[in-house]
Amino acid sequence: MAETTASDQRTNGAQTAGTQETNGAVQALIEEWRDVAYNCFSSGHKFCREVCPVMQVTRDERHTPTAFHANVVAMEKGHLSIEDVAEDYVHCTMCGACELRCPNSLFTGDFYRFRQRTIDVVKAMRALAVQSGVHQKNWKRWAELTNRWGNEPVLGWTKETSANKVRAWAVGLNIPTGGETILFADCEAAFYRPSVPRSVAQLLTAAGVKFGLMNQQWCCGGPMWETGYVDIAHAMAEHNMLDWRKTNTKRIVCLDPHDYITIVENYPALDPNFDEFEIVLAVDLIAEKIREGKLKLTTPVRRTVTYHDPCRLNKRMGVWKAPREILRAIPGLTFVDVDHVTQWSYCSGAGSNLGVEKPELTAEISRRRMAKAGELDGVDTLVSACPWSERPLTEQGEAQGIEVFDIFELVAEAAGFEV
Amino acid sequence: MATVALLDGVVDELTAICGPDHVFTGRSAVFNRARVPAPFPVHRWEEHIPSAVVLPTSAEQVSEVVKLANRHGIPVVPRAGATGLTDGAVPLRHGIVVDIKLMNQILELDHENRTVTVGPGINMLKLNEELRKHGYIYPDDPASYPCSLVGGRIGTSGWSLIGARYGHTRDLVISFEMVLPTGEIIRVGDGGGPTVRKSSSGYQLKHLFMGHQGTLGIVTEATLELVKRPEAEFSMFFSYGSYMDAWRATGELARSGVATLAGVVLFDEEKIRYLRRDDEAYIPQPESVKAVIACAAYGNADEVRVGAKRLLRIGKASGGAYLGDEISQGDWASRHDRYATPQHGRTRDGQVALMSWHCEDAAIPYPQLPAVREKWHAIADSLRERFDMFDDWGIFAYTNGAFKPWGDYLTEIDIGIWEMKWDDESWAAWVDAKRELARVSIEHGGSISACHGACRAGEVDLVPTELGGGFEVMKTIKRALDPNNIMNPSKYLLGQAYEEE
Repeated sequence: MAETTASDQRTNGAQTAGTQETNGAVQALIEEWRDVAYNCFSSGHKFCREVCPVMQVTRDERHTPTAFHANVVAMEKGHLSIEDVAEDYVHCTMCGACELRCPNSLFTGDFYRFRQRTIDVVKAMRALAVQSGVHQKNWKRWAELTNRWGNEPVLGWTKETSANKVRAWAVGLNIPTGGETILFADCEAAFYRPSVPRSVAQLLTAAGVKFGLMNQQWCCGGPMWETGYVDIAHAMAEHNMLDWRKTNTKRIVCLDPHDYITIVENYPALDPNFDEFEIVLAVDLIAEKIREGKLKLTTPVRRTVTYHDPCRLNKRMGVWKAPREILRAIPGLTFVDVDHVTQWSYCSGAGSNLGVEKPELTAEISRRRMAKAGELDGVDTLVSACPWSERPLTEQGEAQGIEVFDIFELVAEAAGFEV
Repeated sequence: MATVALLDGVVDELTAICGPDHVFTGRSAVFNRARVPAPFPVHRWEEHIPSAVVLPTSAEQVSEVVKLANRHGIPVVPRAGATGLTDGAVPLRHGIVVDIKLMNQILELDHENRTVTVGPGINMLKLNEELRKHGYIYPDDPASYPCSLVGGRIGTSGWSLIGARYGHTRDLVISFEMVLPTGEIIRVGDGGGPTVRKSSSGYQLKHLFMGHQGTLGIVTEATLELVKRPEAEFSMFFSYGSYMDAWRATGELARSGVATLAGVVLFDEEKIRYLRRDDEAYIPQPESVKAVIACAAYGNADEVRVGAKRLLRIGKASGGAYLGDEISQGDWASRHDRYATPQHGRTRDGQVALMSWHCEDAAIPYPQLPAVREKWHAIADSLRERFDMFDDWGIFAYTNGAFKPWGDYLTEIDIGIWEMKWDDESWAAWVDAKRELARVSIEHGGSISACHGACRAGEVDLVPTELGGGFEVMKTIKRALDPNNIMNPSKYLLGQAYEEE
C-alpha cells in the first residue's frame, strides 16, 4: 500500500488537540526556529540536496534540509503537525554537508554572523516529537536500554553493555583510574571494536602520555541528544562530568569524533564551570606525537589505502589535515587521497543512529561510499577515524574486496603493536 | 485544508504501477511538493498541494501513470529539481505530481559520438563529477547548477552562464525521450538517431518540447553533448563610472568576436549599491565605482590566453578599471547565486528583513537595455513605496545568444520579497507589477522570459500578446496532444485551448 500517515485519517486539518504542554512546546520551537527556517524557505537555493547522503539515495524531497525548514513554516501556518513530519526527520545523519553548502552560511554568514543550523533544527524537531509522544520504535528502545545500562546497546538488544563492563577492552593494559588525563572510549569502540581503544591506549603510552580511564564511563549522551531523548542525554553528561571531577581529571582525550563534538557542543550549557576541562581529539594528539618524534612508526604497512573523512571531523569541525599527516607518516603505505571537499558528499550513513531506525538506508549510503573507494586505482584498504562508520563500511567493503581499518589500528601496527 | 481526495482505487492503481515505496499521499509529502523558489503565495499554500506524489523509475511507469490520469481525468504535474524561478512545477489544480528524481542514472557514455545519455533526474554537478574522469564536461551552467536537474532544464529551456561559448540547454540536449500527454513514448531530436545534431527531416520537434513547463508531457531520458573539459578559464571584472559607460563596453566585449568568450555580465548601479550593503568584495570599492562588468573566456589554454588579452584590452580601452585577480577569480567562481541571500533584504528604514530572492528575467535587445532598466526600477520603486516588504536588488544583464552573444541579453531585476507578509492585497500588487515588467519587455521588442518561462501569474496574461498568432498555434498543439487536458492543466493559459471547443 502507498504510504499513509495517521494524519491522513484526520478530518479536521493539521491541528491535533494535543496537551497544553505539547502545544506550548510546538510554539516554543516555532518561536526559536522561525527565522532560521524562513532563511532557508525564502532562499530556496537547494544547494544542499546533492551533497546530502540521504537525499542522494532516497531522492525524496521530504528528506531535504529544504523540507526540514519548510515544515517549521508550515507548522506555524497550521498546515502540518509534528505527527505529520516526525518520521521524515529520521532521514538525516547530521553529517553537516548541507550547512557547508548553504549559500546563507557560505556567502553572507560572516557579515551577518549567521549560520544555517540545519542539524540543530533536526535535533529540535526530534526532541519535540519525543516530547509529544511520537516515538520511533527502535530509537525509543535504544534510548531506554542506554538509560538502563549506561551505554548504548551496540551489541544487540539483549547483550548488556553496562557501565561496569565498559573497561573490558583495556584488560591487560594496566591503565589506572582517573588522573589528570583520561581516555574516553565511546560505546561502539569500547564494546564492538575494542581494537581501536587498545590501539590508542598503547600509542599514548608509547608516546609518553600519562592517562587513566574513568571510574565508570557512561555514554557521552550524543545519540540521545541526536534522537530527541534530551533528558537521558543530560543525565549521561552530568554523570560523566561528576566522574571526571571525582578523579580531578582536567583533560579528556576522545578517540571518537562523535564523543568529541557532543562534549564540546552540548556539555558547556549544562555546567558553568565546564571550562576547567580540556577536550582533545586523539587524532590531533597522535599526529602531534608523531610530528614531535615521540611516537616512532617503523614497521612498514604494505597496503594501498584511501582515507574516509568522518563527517563530524571533516564537515562539522574542519579536521582533515591531521589524519592525512598521520597516514603519510606510516612507512610502506601507499596513500591514494580524495580531497576533503569532494568528501563533503560522502558519508557512511551511520551518523545520528540512522542505522538503528533505517538499516537499509545506512547500508546503501555505505555501499556507495565503498564503491567510490573501489574506483580508486589499487586501493585495498579504506581507513576511517570514526568507529561508528567502520561497522557499516566494513560490511559493505566485503563485497568490494576492500578492508576497513581504523586509523589508530594502522598506526599501532606501524608502531609495532599487536592489536 | 485536507488534501484533495483522489477517486477510490486510484492510489491502489498508482501503487500497482510504481510500487508501494514510490507512492505518497501523506501531508508532508504533498506540502513539500507544492512550491518552488518562484514567488509563492504562502498564505494560500494548500491551494497548490498535489493529491498524490509518485516517484517512478522508468518511462514505462511514467507512461502508465499518465494513461491512468487520462482514464480518470486527473491532472498530472511533472517535477524535477523544483528549483525553477517560474512555477512550472507548482500544481494549479492538485492532481498527481510525477517526481522524476529517482531517474538519475547515467545510462550510456558514448565516446565515439561524444554523447552521454542520462535519466532526467540527474543534476549537472553530479554528472560532471563522473564526466571529469573522462576529460569531459556537460557545460549547462545555470545559477542552480548544484541542484537543478536535466529534466527541468528541458522543461524550462534553460540558459547557461557560459552559453556564449558552449550553448544553452536547447543547444546541449541532442535528443530526448518523452512520454506524451496520452502516454505514448516517443523520441524527439532534430531528426534521425539519438545522437544526430543536425537534421532537416520533418518538423523540428525538439524545440517544441523545450520549455513547455510540463504542459506537453514528461521527459524520461536525454542524450547530451559532451564537451572537452576546458584547459583554462579566465575571468575578469571591470568597473565603470556610470551604467551607460558600462553598457557601451558590454556591447563592445560581446561583439569582439573572441571565440573563447563564455559570457559577459553587466551589473547596474542599483546592483552595485545593493552589493555595497554587505558584500565584502564591494564594500571597499571607491564610490566612483558605479557599474561593473564581469566576463570570462573558456577553452584551450593557448586560445584563452590570446582571447583574454584582447578582452582585457577592450575592457580598458572602454574606460574600465580591472578590479583585480581576487574579485575576478573569486566572484566568478562563486557566481552561482553569490548575490542573493535572504539577509540582504532591507525595509525602507534600513532594517534587515529576511526576503526571498525573486529574479524576474526577460530577453531584451541590446539597444533597449537602458530604457528597460529605468522602467523596471520605477515599477520596483512603486511596489516598495506601497508595501514595505519589497526591495529592489538591482539589475543584471547577461549575454543571451549561444555562440553569437551580441544580440539580446538575459536581463533580470532581482526583487526581494518578505514573503511571510503576503496577504491578498500585496499578492495582487505583485502580480500587477509582474505584468507591468513583462509589458515593458514586450514593448521594447523583447520577450517576457529568456530562461525561466513565462507562466507565472501576471506575466502569463501577456503571453498571447507576445506570441500573437503563435499562441493560437500553441493552443492547437496543446489540444491535439493532450485531448483530456491532464498535463499541468491551466498552466500557460492553456486552459483556454479547451474553452473554445
